[in-house]
Amino acid sequence: MKLNERSLAFYATCDSPADNAGFLYKRGERHTAYHRRWFVLKGNMLFYFEERESREPVGVIVLEGCTVELCDSAEEFTFAIRFGGAKSRTYVLAAESQAAMESWVKSLSRASFDYLRLVVRELEKQLEEMRGGPAGGRGGCWQPPGSWKPKPSGPERSPERLPALPAVLPKENGCAVWNNVPGVDRSPDTSGCGGHDGEGNPRPPPLPPRRRASSSEAGSAGVAAAESPSIFCRLHERYGQEVARLRQDWLDRRRGPQ
Amino acid sequence: AVLKKRLVKLVVNFLFYFRTDEAEPIGALLLEHCRITKEEENVFSISFIEEPERKYCFECDSEEQCQEWIEALKRASYEFMRRSLIFYRNEIQKMTGKDPLEQYGISEEARFQLGTRKQ
Repeated sequence: MKLNERSLAFYATCDSPADNAGFLYKRGERHTAYHRRWFVLKGNMLFYFEERESREPVGVIVLEGCTVELCDSAEEFTFAIRFGGAKSRTYVLAAESQAAMESWVKSLSRASFDYLRLVVRELEKQLEEMRGGPAGGRGGCWQPPGSWKPKPSGPERSPERLPALPAVLPKENGCAVWNNVPGVDRSPDTSGCGGHDGEGNPRPPPLPPRRRASSSEAGSAGVAAAESPSIFCRLHERYGQEVARLRQDWLDRRRGPQ
Repeated sequence: AVLKKRLVKLVVNFLFYFRTDEAEPIGALLLEHCRITKEEENVFSISFIEEPERKYCFECDSEEQCQEWIEALKRASYEFMRRSLIFYRNEIQKMTGKDPLEQYGISEEARFQLGTRKQ
């Protein structure tokens, strides 16, 4: 399977901060000898390099759909990254100290996109519940119901496992697909324009549709969440409206002398 | 350039593509440090920061489908999700005075701190 390897290598070596980095011993697949490699965790990708100074990683482990567990091994400070699925392998790694092992196990077990998305959805829900109450007037730029297009609920999302294929075809990825494109393409939003200064909201927005009760289970990372408008997108849009207006002005000026 | 029909699946921060009658993907694109651009009608492209002139172009069946994909892909990166988390955390903290990440035991993690994360 082809991958955009250059982009992966760029992500691995660019100066964005790593979530964890250090030497680990990696057990070989066929031979059980351990090789010392430099590991870098960024997002849900665990890259490993032959040397700390190497320009390109020699491999990457995508941390989705895996479990991280301590190992019962003759070797000290070992832990394993285990994937489900018939063709998947288990990666056995060994740290150089107890503290390093614990630090890696902790960061690897929370590295998945799925985990992050779960936390984001929980926070989104909390924020929505806080804003949906009597303090709704502070809610900023809610979209009027007519312009909000609910996502069809579609098939239940099962947790994705890489490299096995997911059971469903999710297009949106963590946030509900936002129907409105912020920026120059939109006609001015009457509820948000004018005097947009964070404190002076023109009128109380309509309350957003409530999520269905089934979405309140922790860990149901998908169906009902896909139906609610993304709060982050709305807040982001609120902060971005001034920028959008400035840009529109700029574009108008550019188009002016025609 | 020849257009080939592909089945495309967005899964976490990867865009997989398949020949329409095959079960295994022929390839995948990692969607970090990339730019999604609207091209001509029904078409969008993905390009990567380290090779900006190389565009992966996708033609959709309709303008609406095109916009849906653009919006979904713009939000597909891990880094975007991380920024959302930091943003929400900050909003909730401002409103309640409490750090909502404490209950998850992850409030000290460097990757969730506000401020100077480089893109």
